[in-house]
Amino acid sequence: MVNKLIISNVLHRPIRTALSALAVAIEVAMVMLFVGLANGMLHDSARRVEGIGADILVQPSGTSFLFAFSQAALPVKIGEKFKEIPHVLAVAPAVIFVNSVGGLDTIYGIDMASFDSVSGGFVYHHGHALENPYDVLVDDWYAKAKRVKLGQTIRLLDHEFRVSGIVEHGKGARLFISIGTAEDLLSVKDKASIFFVKCTDPGYTAEVSEAIHQMGPGYKITLVKELMSMMTSSNLPGLETITTVIIGIAVAIGFLVIFLAMYTTIIERTREIGILKSLGASKGYIIAVILREAGLLCAVGILAGYGIAAIARKIIVAKFPTLPIELTAQWAFYAALLALAGSLLGALYPAWRAAQLDPVDALAYE
Amino acid sequence: MDPIIVTRELKKVYRMGRVQVPALRGVDCTVLESEFVAVVGPSGCGKSTLLHILGGLTGPTSGEVLVDGNDFSNMTDADRTRFRRHTIGFVFQRFNLLPTLTARNNIAIAQDIQGNGFNPHHFQKVVEMLGIQDKLEHRPNAMSGGEQQRVAIARAVICEPKILLADEPTGNLDTENSQAVLNMMRELNRTFGQTILMITHNPEAAAVADRIIHMRDGRVVSD
Repeated sequence: MVNKLIISNVLHRPIRTALSALAVAIEVAMVMLFVGLANGMLHDSARRVEGIGADILVQPSGTSFLFAFSQAALPVKIGEKFKEIPHVLAVAPAVIFVNSVGGLDTIYGIDMASFDSVSGGFVYHHGHALENPYDVLVDDWYAKAKRVKLGQTIRLLDHEFRVSGIVEHGKGARLFISIGTAEDLLSVKDKASIFFVKCTDPGYTAEVSEAIHQMGPGYKITLVKELMSMMTSSNLPGLETITTVIIGIAVAIGFLVIFLAMYTTIIERTREIGILKSLGASKGYIIAVILREAGLLCAVGILAGYGIAAIARKIIVAKFPTLPIELTAQWAFYAALLALAGSLLGALYPAWRAAQLDPVDALAYE
Repeated sequence: MDPIIVTRELKKVYRMGRVQVPALRGVDCTVLESEFVAVVGPSGCGKSTLLHILGGLTGPTSGEVLVDGNDFSNMTDADRTRFRRHTIGFVFQRFNLLPTLTARNNIAIAQDIQGNGFNPHHFQKVVEMLGIQDKLEHRPNAMSGGEQQRVAIARAVICEPKILLADEPTGNLDTENSQAVLNMMRELNRTFGQTILMITHNPEAAAVADRIIHMRDGRVVSD
């Protein structure tokens, strides 16, 4: 019977119901999309590094892999020393940097021969390898997203580069230029941001890693097989804080809208609350009616939020193919929990106020 | 018959800012089980306040209120609410139906609040007695005043309360509907043996009762 009362109340004010549910839906969609985007980018980045085929990444100490472009401090020549370590098959230096013209794109400055020896070589959809200093390779996703064609020029680091090849995605970056050109443009002559080290067999990874470690304490050594598990927002400075802030804002929106909706509801239904009290409804009964109504609005909002998140993901991915958004069941569950908690908290005070109403005053309410 | 309602020196004072307004100035009255009593008096004489106190909607300032052997002056708000749920039914001048529910659900919600479950046999009996079978799926805004009041009476008696408190039940009805409602209350009193205390301005309505209590200035002036 309470369910009938709640449903009839919710249907009685369709616009308020729709707006309240929409606010919860936006909250749920915001949480899922933001976390999905953050995790998607992290995992995509990790997958692409895995796709290079290296077993070990060597960087200057104190460097996060995602921020490897922040410094190119390793002399290129130490790559030769890494090669001398037993069970090392190939070593490829790279300068990693970000181009901010027309979007944020990570670019690898590579030596074609050594990068091919580590990665097994690019799969070319169109064109050929880097031949001239101002040639650039782009992956197929980048080409699709930016509508880039073979032979076209694109502007990177205030210079025009010619697209010499379009390659299969999944080998580190989406754009590749010659390491020499990158060193010149960034004024980091004979320096690399990172070395990709491939062992003769993955079973030697620990041994090779230890040997590199023995060569000097100034290296940050990352095992590629551990990279995916390291790619969490908590391992990235600032990202967890941003995620928390975004989630907090989303929950606050849901909380405030439900608070306002339920507060106006109890003012509007003061007389009805008086009627329930005259029938002998306890404070608990009144509180349960209000909280369950908020719960129903929230449940509708959560389902709508899932729909909005799924549709928004399709639109974003269609418009920006390089933006990976991972919508997971785990975060769908967390987003629902957050929305429910925010909604019930938002409804708690109005429910308590309703329960405290004096029945005589409530029945006299016009 | 035993007394089911007894008040002694019942007083109620409302505070409006710094001003104290005495609504009841010492009411002594007794109502017997299965009795149909009308309380009449001019506006502001304290009739509604007396009804609210007897229904446990508000507490007295002083004095004694015994309803079915329970002393309201010593009961908490929660205790009075629990007692009201099982022992008292209300009928109001303005019907006070829940506007979003159908007549059927307006009646059924009283059973839900009482917590004893739905009794289809009793439901059918009450509905037939009040002649609202064909209005059960209607919402209040699709019913006339007389129909709404009959649904309100059905809601008040569906849980078989010992006492029915009616606050000007014919106040918003025309003569024909007023008479119909009064007849139904009389019939309910006879059929189910419910004690009825009815507040009214209307001498014709009061005449239906077994006994008439006259109030003035917060006191019972004749019984």
